[in-house]
Order: sequence, then C-alpha cells, then structure tokens
Amino acid sequence: MQIVQVLAYGILLGGIYALLASGVTLIFGVLDVVNVAQGAFLVFSALFTWQIWDMFGIEPLLLIPVMGAMMGLIGWAIYRGMLIRVAPQGPGMTVLLMFGVALTMEGILNLGFGNKFKSVTPAYFTQSLNIGEIVLPYPQLISGVLAIVVLGAIYAYLRFSWAGRALRASSQNRDGAALVGISHKKAAGFAFAIGAATAGVGGVLLAIMYPIFPATHYEWIARLLGVVVLGGFGSIPGAIIAALLLGTMESFAATFVPQWAPLFFYGTILLILVFRPQGIMGSKTREDVA
Amino acid sequence: MHKLREPRVFVPLLLLLVLALFPILLPDSTYEESVLIACFLLAIMASGWNLISGLAGYVSLGHSVYLGIGMYTGAILSKAWGIEPMYLMPLGGVFAALVAIGVGAIVLRSRSHAFVIITIAVLWSVQLLAQVAKPITGGADGIVVPPPAWAKELGNIPYYYMFFAVLLLTILLAWFVMNSRLGAGLVAIRNDEGKAASIGINTTLYKITAYALSAIPFGVAGALYGQYLSFVNPIGAFGILTSVILVLAALVGGRGTLWGPVIGGFIIALANEFATVSAGGVSARVLIMGIVLILVVMFLPAGLLPTISAAIKRRREKGDTVKFIDQTAIANSRTEVDTSAISTRMSTTSKVENILEVRDVVKTFGGVRAVDGVSLTVERGTITGLIGPNGSGKTTLFNCMTGTFTPTSGTVLLDGENITKDRVWTRAHEGLGRTFQITRLFKSMTVLDNLVAPLEKTSAKQMVAGRYSGEEVDRAREILDFMGLSQFEKQNAAALSFGQQKLVELAQVLMLRPSIILLDEPASGINPTLIEKLANVIRRLNEAGTTVLIVEHNIPLVLSLCSKVHVLAAGQVLTSGTPEEIRNDPLVIEAYLGPDHLLEAPSV
Repeated sequence: MQIVQVLAYGILLGGIYALLASGVTLIFGVLDVVNVAQGAFLVFSALFTWQIWDMFGIEPLLLIPVMGAMMGLIGWAIYRGMLIRVAPQGPGMTVLLMFGVALTMEGILNLGFGNKFKSVTPAYFTQSLNIGEIVLPYPQLISGVLAIVVLGAIYAYLRFSWAGRALRASSQNRDGAALVGISHKKAAGFAFAIGAATAGVGGVLLAIMYPIFPATHYEWIARLLGVVVLGGFGSIPGAIIAALLLGTMESFAATFVPQWAPLFFYGTILLILVFRPQGIMGSKTREDVA
Repeated sequence: MHKLREPRVFVPLLLLLVLALFPILLPDSTYEESVLIACFLLAIMASGWNLISGLAGYVSLGHSVYLGIGMYTGAILSKAWGIEPMYLMPLGGVFAALVAIGVGAIVLRSRSHAFVIITIAVLWSVQLLAQVAKPITGGADGIVVPPPAWAKELGNIPYYYMFFAVLLLTILLAWFVMNSRLGAGLVAIRNDEGKAASIGINTTLYKITAYALSAIPFGVAGALYGQYLSFVNPIGAFGILTSVILVLAALVGGRGTLWGPVIGGFIIALANEFATVSAGGVSARVLIMGIVLILVVMFLPAGLLPTISAAIKRRREKGDTVKFIDQTAIANSRTEVDTSAISTRMSTTSKVENILEVRDVVKTFGGVRAVDGVSLTVERGTITGLIGPNGSGKTTLFNCMTGTFTPTSGTVLLDGENITKDRVWTRAHEGLGRTFQITRLFKSMTVLDNLVAPLEKTSAKQMVAGRYSGEEVDRAREILDFMGLSQFEKQNAAALSFGQQKLVELAQVLMLRPSIILLDEPASGINPTLIEKLANVIRRLNEAGTTVLIVEHNIPLVLSLCSKVHVLAAGQVLTSGTPEEIRNDPLVIEAYLGPDHLLEAPSV
C-alpha cells in the first residue's frame, strides 16, 4: 500500500511541477530565453501570499487570481523594460539578466521578510483525506488538483484561442509570424506575462505546502530546469510528462533515499542535456543553414 | 623596450607595482589587506573564467565549482598528509584541471542555453556530493583547516603575497593563451564554431583545453583560500553566488580582454565589500549585486575596457575619410605572383584518379530522403559542377562531403581514403577546403587575421605557437596579392562587401593548401563583374593544380567553367556529362523548367 501512497503523492507533486515548469518552457519557446528568475517569481508570490494571509487571515486559495495577475504584470514589465533590450545579445546575456532579476528579487525579499522560513497554515493545513490506507494531506491534494486545473486552462487557451495560436506561430517562426501580422514583441510580452503568471499561481500553491524563505528560489529553479530539460525546451506537453515522471521519482526517492532526492534533478539535467539535448518532446532543428 | 612607454602597457604594470609594495609601504593595515585579498581572488577567478567564456564564448555560470574543488583538495589532503593546504596549491590546480577535462569532454558538446544550464547543474551536483560523501568531506559541517605556521605578527601578509602571486601567474597564463594560436582559435570558435572547424581547427580539443586551463587558477587559489578561511564547507565552497559574482566581474571589466577581468575583479570585490559593510549586510549585498548585474547587462554589455578603447578609437579616427574602393580592380589576378603560395599538398603524389568520390550516399531527415543513393566522382585536376533545381539535395550532399552531416548510409572517399565519419577539421587537414554560400568570415577579425586562422594540422606545438608566424603571414599576403585583395589586409572582415567577403573566404581556404575546394554557390549574391573575376580566380587555381567542385545555380557560369557536370534531381543523380551534353539534355530542361516547357520548347 505504501507504493500506491507514494505514487499518489508523486503524481500530485508532478502536477505542481508541471504547472510551474510550463511557464519556463513557454517563455523559452516564444522568447528563446531561459528564465532562471522563475524560482524567484515563485518565492516572491509565495511570500506575498503569506503576508496577506498573515495580515488579514484571508483564505490563501482566494489569492490565486490576484497573485497570478500581479506576477503576470511584473513579468510583462520585466520584458518591456529590460529583456527586450538584451534579447538581441543572445542566450548568455539573457540568462545573466534573468539571474540579476532573481538576485534583486531575493535581495528585496530578504530585506522585506527577513531570512526566516514562513508558512501559511490555514485550517486544513494539518488535515488529510483518508481513502482506505492511503492518506492524502489536503494542502498537497488541493494544490496538486488546482495546479492541474490551471495548467489545463492555460493549455486549452494556447491550443484553441486566437492569441494562443499567435504565440505558437511566433515561437515556431518569428519572421514568418511577423509577415502575417503577429508582432513578435507583443507575442513575447504576452508569453512572458503568462509564464510569470504561472509562477504567481504556483507561489500560492507552494505557500500552503512548504515553508518558504527567499533563498529557496535556487532549489525551485533547479527543479524546474530539470523538468524543462527532460521534457525538451519549449515543449509544454513534454514538460507535463517530465514533471509527472520527476515528481514520482522524487516522491519515491524521498521515501527510500531521502538525502539523494535532489540529485535526481541535477542528474537528469546532466544526463539529458548530454545525451539527448532536445529532451523527450523537443525537436532537433537544422543548424547548417546559417 | 619602447613598448613600455605605451600607456596600455605601463599603467597596469605600475598599478601592480603599487600593489606589490602596499604591505611594505603601509604596514598595520590588516583590514585593507583583507579587502585586497578579496580583490585578488575575484580577479583570479574572473581572469580564469575569461579563458573559456570570454575567449571561446561559452558562458559558464558554475565556474566556482573549481574553486571549491581546490578548497576541498587542499583541506582533505592536508588532513590526510599532515601538511598545510597552501603547499597543496599546485595539486589543487592539477586536480581542478583533471576534473575540468572530464566534465568538459561531456558538457562542451552542448552549446548556448544547454551549456549555461549544465554548468549550474554541475555546481549543484558537486555541492550535493560534498554534503552526502560524509566520510571524505565531513558532510554539511565541512572540514576545519589548521591555521598557518607563521608568526602571528605577520598577520595576513603572507596570504597577501601568495594570492598576489597567483594573480600574477593567472594574468601571465591569460596573456600567453591570448597571444597563441590557441587563443586565436578560441576567438574563431566564439565567432563561428562551424566555420572554425571547416578551416581545420579541432574545436573539441581547443574548447576542452581552454576549459581545463580556465579551471587551473581556481584550483590553485582554492587550496589557499580554504586555509585562509580556516574551514571548508559545501555551501561556502560551491556557492552559486560566487559564480555569478565572478561572471559579473569579468563582464564589468570586459570579456575577452587581458586586463578587463582583473579590473572588474577589483571593482566588484570593492563594491561587494562596501555593500556588506556599509549598506546593511548580506541581504543588501545580494540586492546590490543583482541590480549591478542587471545594469551591466543592459547598459554596458561589452564591459568597461572595450567600451573605453572603442571611444578612444572613434575619437582618433574622427576626420579620417572613408577611402574609395575600386571594386573592379579586385581579383585582377596578377601574372607575376608566384603560384607556389596557392599550391596544393598532394596533387602530385597520389595515384587515385578520383580525388573525391561518393558511393550510394543516402541522407534522410525524418521521412524525407533528401539524398537518395547518390554516387558520383570528381576527377583530379578538373573543375566539376554540381547543379540541380531547388530541393534536389545539392546542399545536403555537399554537407555530407564536408562533414557537416554524416550520411545515413553510403561512403565518401577523399583521395581513396574513406572519410565518411571524419570530423570536419580532419577533412580540412586531409586537403578538403570549402566555402559557404553565405560567407562565414570571422567578422570581428581583420582580413589578415582571418587568413592566418586556418590550421593545416592539429599539434600541441602549434597551439602554443605565437598568433602569427612569419611564414604564414607571408603566405597570407601572397594569396591576398594573388586575389587582388591586398588593400583590405587591415580592414575588418565585416566592413567588406558581400562579394569581397566571398573572395576573402576563398583566400582563407587556400591557406589550408587544399587539394580540392568545394565552392557552395560562389556566384550567388555578387555582381556580374565580380563573377567574372571569380571565374578567373577559379581557373587560375585549377591551373595551379587545385581540383574544384562547384555547387551553383548560375548555369552559364557552371557550363563555361566546368569540364564535367553532375545534375541532381529529387535526391538522385539525373545525369552526368560535359557541359555540351548537359545543355542539350531534355531531362535536365524538364527537371528545371517542368514538362510543360519541354512540350512547347521545340515548336518555338
């Protein structure tokens, strides 16, 4: 029965990773930028959730749309204000820029919240759903299910809306999309906003599951990069599969070999990038035409 | 020693002298010394990082892993052998280099995004290993290192001089690399890796060498730094923040320059110290470093030194008028030029009649058979043409010959040797030179630098040799003269017109003394006068013994130059023959213009 328990846990965890990583992979797909600040976005949202919950005692889950919108706006501003300038200088510089953003956010949070763990503990924090012998704590259950719902909504939006089609067009062929009237800058700003908004939503979900402090953003970005790399940069379905895989693996590792659990992510990044750089679902492109 | 009078030489030397004398001139300044030690360390790391990331353009965001490896090497071995870590500095360097060779052989296969992420992942993995491997590393608690044996009154002064010495050695190493063929090759790799390989640079070897060399200063300094801190733990040794700060230092000063990373190291270490002491501690430090990083990336991406020197250059050149360039004089090959400069290496010795041969080559992309069982030959000493409509598989076949692609099946023979699986640079060494349809010169280099970049072979001796050897420069000048390009010698390649660049690229390939040159659409995008000149150059090259294979859409040019022409259509050889035969072959006309045309053509 322990196996089923661990598996259920892993799938819930994977659902959350899938939501978080889909933001990173969407941003990469459209902008060609590895957003290493996504972890900082998450922690930023989580700590603000804590602050509001601490001050007003409001149900944290109600903050999901608020934090999503807030981070989306911040993301859009970062794109228009900074990234748009640096993008032509190539991947090395954009990564450094986003690292600078991550450090700045960490510094701000350090000054604002101090270097202490903060936990959001609503009433259901310690309760769990028992199905036979399987115990599912409500925070994990709620977060996992909500993550999958939000992710499904985003995926459907990208798949079926006009704006989503524009984004996909722009990510596949920037110049071609421009010729049929899709402004890359607008598409990129929109993609960055959605990507950051997933971190806003994810931050709320993390806040009710884990204690958070500013420097934990490194752990999160390490996990997200692991998922994105395994799934194939830029592929949302790939990220979802990879997230479920790694979530389950982490859940098993945490049960049986806890101290090695983080190595699964780093090890995945290393192995995949070395032996199959395009990931599970990514496509290899022709490079000779340049 | 007239060089000493140049400011760019004497200013840094003077500053180093001041630093060397500082503890003597101002004794009892322990705090200042510790700040300067931090400056030295950051300058050492930034300079080391510069070798792989500045010169070769592979941005590593996890390079402090080698500092940590040096720290742990010093601490673990000092505990085991009962000696002070500072004596283990050379071993720290050796061990860091060995790890870097192992890691580099794997991670340097990836480029841009993937490489950056891998370097971070390596740092985190090693940090985790240090935490888990408790029996060796002491786990999360780390290892306490004994204090130095020297008298207490000396304070940090011995450390000061040791870090200073490591810094000097690092600068020396950087200077040496930058002025060697290795350094030139690395810059070529940064500019265009595929192109670098095509002119004979063993890019894998060069990158791994640079990566290992870049780790050495970290390892050496690390062994010392561990003792200086008096303890070594995973968080301190393998911090991502250290990695980012050292990159920031190199960025601020100027990547790819000798003194930029050193200056940047001092600036950022001082800023770091100021932030920690005066602006509210560690939290403020992270914030300030983050903001500085954003500002530098946005507003000073080239770094201080290159920005300043560019400004000075602009001021000096103000008023210089741009000279009129006589386009038509270019490539008026001069008869008096000695053709030994363009001679080939093996045309006379080999007995194989077909210098290049492909047998049953197939190349598929997913379900598309771009090249579908092509066999053809290029006879020695000929000018052979390869034509075919768009999408017929010309470029793919061309790429299989040059090594950009490995064929799905089939073989490629050069001089009778099977080269199907040879790397691009090996093919260049074996006498196969190529040009690109859209020129791929190293745009930031001068025409002459572009010409001396090619390597006829890979050897250790050559890697450490000076950037220019006399013989090569002479040959480069002769070739430029042969092509009528002499007046452009000192121009940046990017300043030339597209047609001129095509000629320079051909000149560059000639430096390899190729026995066969593959020209990829040499006439596309250049004006008719220059096409004429180009045809002349090709003919003269051929007279001097070079075999030429031309892939071209300009049919009149191909038919006038070539003695034999192969026609591809739909991934297969449609026909082969003399220009006369090709011109009148109804199959060829049909392939190019469609069957309708053929039906009407005779009636006109």
